[in-house]
Amino acid sequence: MPLTYVILGSGGHTAEMCKINQALLDTANAENASLYQPIRYIVANSDDTSQQHLLTQMPQARPDDFITVPRSRSVGQSWISSIFTTLWALVWSCWLIWRDQPQLLLCNGPGTCVPYCYAAYFWRLLGRLPRHTRIVFVESFCRVESLSLSGCLLMPIADMFVVHWPALAKRYENKQNLRYFGRIF
Amino acid sequence: MQLTTVYVTVGTTRFNALIRTMKSPSVLDALQSRGCQKLILQHGNSAALHSEDVKGILLRHGIQIEQYKFRPNIEDIRSADLVIGHAGAGTCMDILNNKKPGLIVVNDELMDNHQLELAQQLATEKYLYYCRVSQLANKLTTLDFLQLLPYEPAKENMQTFVNALNDLIKAK
Repeated sequence: MPLTYVILGSGGHTAEMCKINQALLDTANAENASLYQPIRYIVANSDDTSQQHLLTQMPQARPDDFITVPRSRSVGQSWISSIFTTLWALVWSCWLIWRDQPQLLLCNGPGTCVPYCYAAYFWRLLGRLPRHTRIVFVESFCRVESLSLSGCLLMPIADMFVVHWPALAKRYENKQNLRYFGRIF
Repeated sequence: MQLTTVYVTVGTTRFNALIRTMKSPSVLDALQSRGCQKLILQHGNSAALHSEDVKGILLRHGIQIEQYKFRPNIEDIRSADLVIGHAGAGTCMDILNNKKPGLIVVNDELMDNHQLELAQQLATEKYLYYCRVSQLANKLTTLDFLQLLPYEPAKENMQTFVNALNDLIKAK
């Protein structure tokens, strides 16, 4: 059964991801909803609100669907120690992606998603993940004229990269993977 | 449009200039002329008003001040006739999702604040207004909040996105 990895951020990121998930599993998309299930939600261990938020917004989600992972860098963390925590987060992401072999990674901007997308990209290259594995990045809604750091890092490897506003769509119109649907929220 | 209750919010930022401006005679005159009776200030990490200021404002302008640092503010937004906020994405979306008239005030002290882009874009699309601290009194006097458009979720665009995603997943 192909698995979807949905990578949650915090606050605004989670609220936006919630809306995307609701649309994917909505009755309007009923005949395709099974493409996305089962879903595993990746949450950083420092984030104690996203899981609750998602569970209240989405009746389909269960506590067992969540995987708690180490966070690469906390706000205000020192530069030296963030090297180690980032490496540790990278090891985790490589291991989880290898173990679960998700065939869709869906993420929208928190830094947590970067190592997961790169892990999927390299495992696909090495044949551990099937060639039809897809990495989908939805830029944060508040990004109007410039990409987020996660966006800059993931644009080269994402199979679909979604922006919300005309200025970004224009700026990156020559990118094959860029999609602009107008604002979707 | 009667602005009986006005809510000012700065989120977690320090925005002393906005809180200071709220007690200036020109801003208070503008609020009073629009029928404001209650002003709620969520000042976050900015300096709160002194209690003498609060008393003086009630005496001179008939506006009751309530101020606090942080609390869940969805009720404050819902009960306000106008929300004046900093350019935070969360604040903008709270204003829009609750279909409230909003006036976003730019914090010039913040460098490279990308969230400003969202406020500007939403102002371009007439979902809210947007100004600098120095323009606040003037804007409060002249803006017609009934001209703002109600913000509706873009269901059709979301469906187009979902269809594109379906196609991407099915193409093996």
